[in-house]
Amino acid sequence: MKRVLPPYGIWILVIVSMATASREAKAEEEHDAKSYVEPEISERDRRFWAFRAPERPAVPQGERKEGTHPLDAFVEHTLRSVGIPGLSASAAPETILRRLAFQTTGLPPTPGEVRRFQTAWQKNPDAALDAAVSDWLARPAYGEHWAQHWLDVARFAETDGFEHDKVRSEAWRYRDWVIDALNQDLRYDRFVALQIAGDELEPENPEAWVATGFLLGGPDMPDINLEAERRHNVLNEMTGAIGAVFLGLTLECAQCHDHKSDPISQADFYRMRAVFEAFDLPKKNESLPVVFPVDGSREVEGNLYLRGDFRRPGPALAPGVPRIFLASEESEQVFGGHPRAEFARWLVREEQPLVARVIVNRVWAHYFGEPLVGSPSDFGKLGERPSHPDLLDWLAIEFMEQGWSLKWLHREILLSHTWRQASRLAPGANAEEEQDWRHRLEIDPDNRWLSRQRRQRLSGEMIRDSLLFLAGRLNSKPGGPGVRPPLPPEVTVTLLSKQWPVTRNPEEHDRRSIYLFARRNLRFPFFAAFDRPDPNQSCGRRYVSTTAPQALTLLNDDFVWRMSEATSQRAAASGPLETASERVDDAFRRVLGRLPDEEERRLGVRFLEQHPMEQFYLGLFNLSEFLYLD
Amino acid sequence: MLRDPASNREKQLPWLDRAGEELVPKKRGVLRSLAMREWAPGTNRREFLRRAGGGLGALALAPWMIEAKQVGGQSVSHFPGRAKRVISLFMHGGPSQVDLWDPKPKLQELAGQVLPESFGEVMTRRRVAQNPLMAPVRGFSRHGQSGLPVSDFLPEMGRLADDLCVIRSCHGDSVNHPQSVYQMNTGSILMGRPSLGAWISYGLGSVNDSMPGFVVMPDPRGGLKGGPPAWGSGFLPARHQGVTMRPGKVPILNLRPPTERNSRQASTLDLVQQLNRRHLEARDHDDELEARIASYELAFRMQTEAPDLVDLSGESEVTRKLYGIDRPVTREFGTRCLLARRLIEKGVRFVQLYSGDTNGWDAHKNVEANHSEYCAATDLPVAGLLRDLKARGLLEDTLVIWGGEFGRMPMSEQGTGRDHNPWGYTTVLAGAGVRGGYAHGATDEVGLRAVENPVHVHDLHATILHLLGFDHERLTFLHNGLEARLTGVAGEVVTDLLA
Repeated sequence: MKRVLPPYGIWILVIVSMATASREAKAEEEHDAKSYVEPEISERDRRFWAFRAPERPAVPQGERKEGTHPLDAFVEHTLRSVGIPGLSASAAPETILRRLAFQTTGLPPTPGEVRRFQTAWQKNPDAALDAAVSDWLARPAYGEHWAQHWLDVARFAETDGFEHDKVRSEAWRYRDWVIDALNQDLRYDRFVALQIAGDELEPENPEAWVATGFLLGGPDMPDINLEAERRHNVLNEMTGAIGAVFLGLTLECAQCHDHKSDPISQADFYRMRAVFEAFDLPKKNESLPVVFPVDGSREVEGNLYLRGDFRRPGPALAPGVPRIFLASEESEQVFGGHPRAEFARWLVREEQPLVARVIVNRVWAHYFGEPLVGSPSDFGKLGERPSHPDLLDWLAIEFMEQGWSLKWLHREILLSHTWRQASRLAPGANAEEEQDWRHRLEIDPDNRWLSRQRRQRLSGEMIRDSLLFLAGRLNSKPGGPGVRPPLPPEVTVTLLSKQWPVTRNPEEHDRRSIYLFARRNLRFPFFAAFDRPDPNQSCGRRYVSTTAPQALTLLNDDFVWRMSEATSQRAAASGPLETASERVDDAFRRVLGRLPDEEERRLGVRFLEQHPMEQFYLGLFNLSEFLYLD
Repeated sequence: MLRDPASNREKQLPWLDRAGEELVPKKRGVLRSLAMREWAPGTNRREFLRRAGGGLGALALAPWMIEAKQVGGQSVSHFPGRAKRVISLFMHGGPSQVDLWDPKPKLQELAGQVLPESFGEVMTRRRVAQNPLMAPVRGFSRHGQSGLPVSDFLPEMGRLADDLCVIRSCHGDSVNHPQSVYQMNTGSILMGRPSLGAWISYGLGSVNDSMPGFVVMPDPRGGLKGGPPAWGSGFLPARHQGVTMRPGKVPILNLRPPTERNSRQASTLDLVQQLNRRHLEARDHDDELEARIASYELAFRMQTEAPDLVDLSGESEVTRKLYGIDRPVTREFGTRCLLARRLIEKGVRFVQLYSGDTNGWDAHKNVEANHSEYCAATDLPVAGLLRDLKARGLLEDTLVIWGGEFGRMPMSEQGTGRDHNPWGYTTVLAGAGVRGGYAHGATDEVGLRAVENPVHVHDLHATILHLLGFDHERLTFLHNGLEARLTGVAGEVVTDLLA
């Protein structure tokens, strides 16, 4: 049988058994072994936007009014260039607050908070928003919500995966470290550096060691036959993850061959991997620990592995960084005694062109539904180009100058008019406003130019947490090992026995979603239905699907029923509501943060003539208005 | 839709320049890719759907998961395929090829001796390379006009020999269960890639508004090594992952409200839909909100259809007998085989059944006892399924796959058992467009390695996709800027297997 191997392809598979390759392929490999020639980096490669350090762009002056937020100036400048006069009007205050609350903390505002915000907004919208942003960003729920965004990217789970999917008993410490770091607004450069080399950078601080849990966060097969294969898989996975997460590059494509489209050679991949060669592999059948284990006696030098095969070591390589990040005259950047610490420091130098841009882009995406660079983990040539390149660079540079403060970045976005825009034409708009809105839809149908806000669906975690919150049942206890609420038998049957021992104390079952046990081989069904990503690889962006199982979950899941009942009981306990109409108003205020209009009230009252209140709440939990942020 | 999950809503075509920097069409074949063929430059999805007839309302026609890429459930294959659907019978644990499908007289002869040195070094899971060889534990009989030999473990499948295409030269890359379970299902020994069923659901969609494209029926005793990622969607949209289904009143998770609730669900749904429509009208008829309304209609239809589907009371006595539902030993697997037929009749594209709990066919000791038990439980139901499909004319365009994640070693383990063998083993195909009564390729004299016409898992996958009308090199999904596919960068269609 003839098997033609592509001479130059991207090999996603790490290991291709030699036994399977034909004689021709073998001959080709032997040829490779003798003559690995690293491709040169061209001037054209160096000129590619993502590989050039950002330069501070001038804030567009144009028709800029006094006090215009620079972020808005960039967006308006682009809008005018496509023929849209400026930003849309601000959304209504209750919409703004709901957006703010969910996007910062993953939880809805209370009716009281909505009322107070509306009143403050009447007086002075800017001041009201400023105060609310400060308030919400200071809540511990902020770190708990944003940690999930990071854990998606960090491919976090508390088990190994593969056959035994054993528990990594300390993995939760990394999750807690992320939450604390975000809540304390740990500088992002430090946040990154500690995840690479916290043990070396702050040897006296055990918390910083835990940050290295990032490195070993991927899947692993502790019972694999060959130690060398396991070590190879772990180190390659780690190197690929660092590329995707911090650099926004598909580095993993260079483990078997030179990268097909980006100027990253196979040697570049293994140079970067060599930074981690002091890794001390745990014994067979032992799971990876949370703190990166180091064997001081190991050579700090690595190898290229031909075709990504651990059985075929090629030329030796000193620890370093991909050459595209070096000025052209430098030939090499070699790290000495503490390559990890040196690499970590290198990664967060201000000249590094990608790290700040990548995180700014990730944060942006959660506030606007779309990132500025549409492929947040691929800033390479096959990735997408920024929709607002100047804005991206301005944000990246300011972010670094503001001490790499993520909370600064959140504030900057939240206080902008761009973020405040409405996502729909206000009810009761006049003819002129309607015409303006049509114009926006026509010129900017995909909202690429940010001519309005974008509607976003809540994640599964946000839906679950909100239901607990509305029911008055949310247990806000922070931290600690992952919790396992009961699962239906048809789900647990797909696991090995005893893989889902239910947490004894039922109060624990009502903790925030971030604290639910993250088993690699089983996504929690409620979250799986709402597109929680597979934790086996870094996920830069969740896919948002609309499926019948989502409807079935919200209509039929026992959890949703219990929350409907509890919410109904809580409402009844908080004061007598005489009429059906009052009960409908109260329920709307609780769940949607607003009062019903006449028609909605009529429908609600009619429904309550035949159905109990908890069923009305169940209905409200199924509304698009509840599931989406306007 | 050919989308990276990293760019979740298909709003702009990838070859259109984003920042006006260089307007160079990407040559890497995005244009060639499935479904994209239907797109013209400059259109977005909304326009595409409108143009495809039916406008936004067409969304309501799309199957099961609303965002399906074809309108009206039309299949979008590359060329007319012989197979329209697949039933995968996965014998978890690794059935022994030398005891079931691949007779080895030489192994009989060498039994008790160590493997001759000429075979070289053998990588094994449990270091059994130096253990004495073990003779096949059961005899073989020739069957049908083809005279194809099948083990006496499988008398019923043997009677259908003329319909079976026995690939004796399969091989994969890992001696471990989970890696091989992943490879057989996803093409990769690493976890987290999209499974074959997910690719097929993605490629073909479902033809039924009320059913998923890919259904999995795990062994009720559970515990697949590697777990649910074996039927995961990897980087494909989540809607393509296998939906687990089981016999009984609640075949799909959350299909019905909790039993103790008096739901009066229809009126709740009415309320929800009325309020959701008002919400939609005030929001520029956003197609995602429209899709959500449609998803509630589908959910409602599923609730009525799915329980009917698993209600076997209407099946005749003859049919029940055919699948062995009348006998305790075969009842469980027979029921699932019958459900598999009912599912494909309902338009499901890929149905996968697992035989074997955590250990399953993994006969590290006593192959005789283990395979006696598992063959007795599955032989008649599998044959019943094939016979039933044939009688209904469904075998014409239904591909049936029988096999495990690997086979077993010719050496013994603990005296009467055998260790894992990914280097040479058997997979059996039947139905749509495959050559019946045919044995393809060969292992060496003792059944250790595939030596003649070897068929790697990638080749098997390429062939399966070919039978379904797909060029495996063109069934791709843009992931992290790469066109990822089931077969990685390898795979070749094995044309000898085609009728």
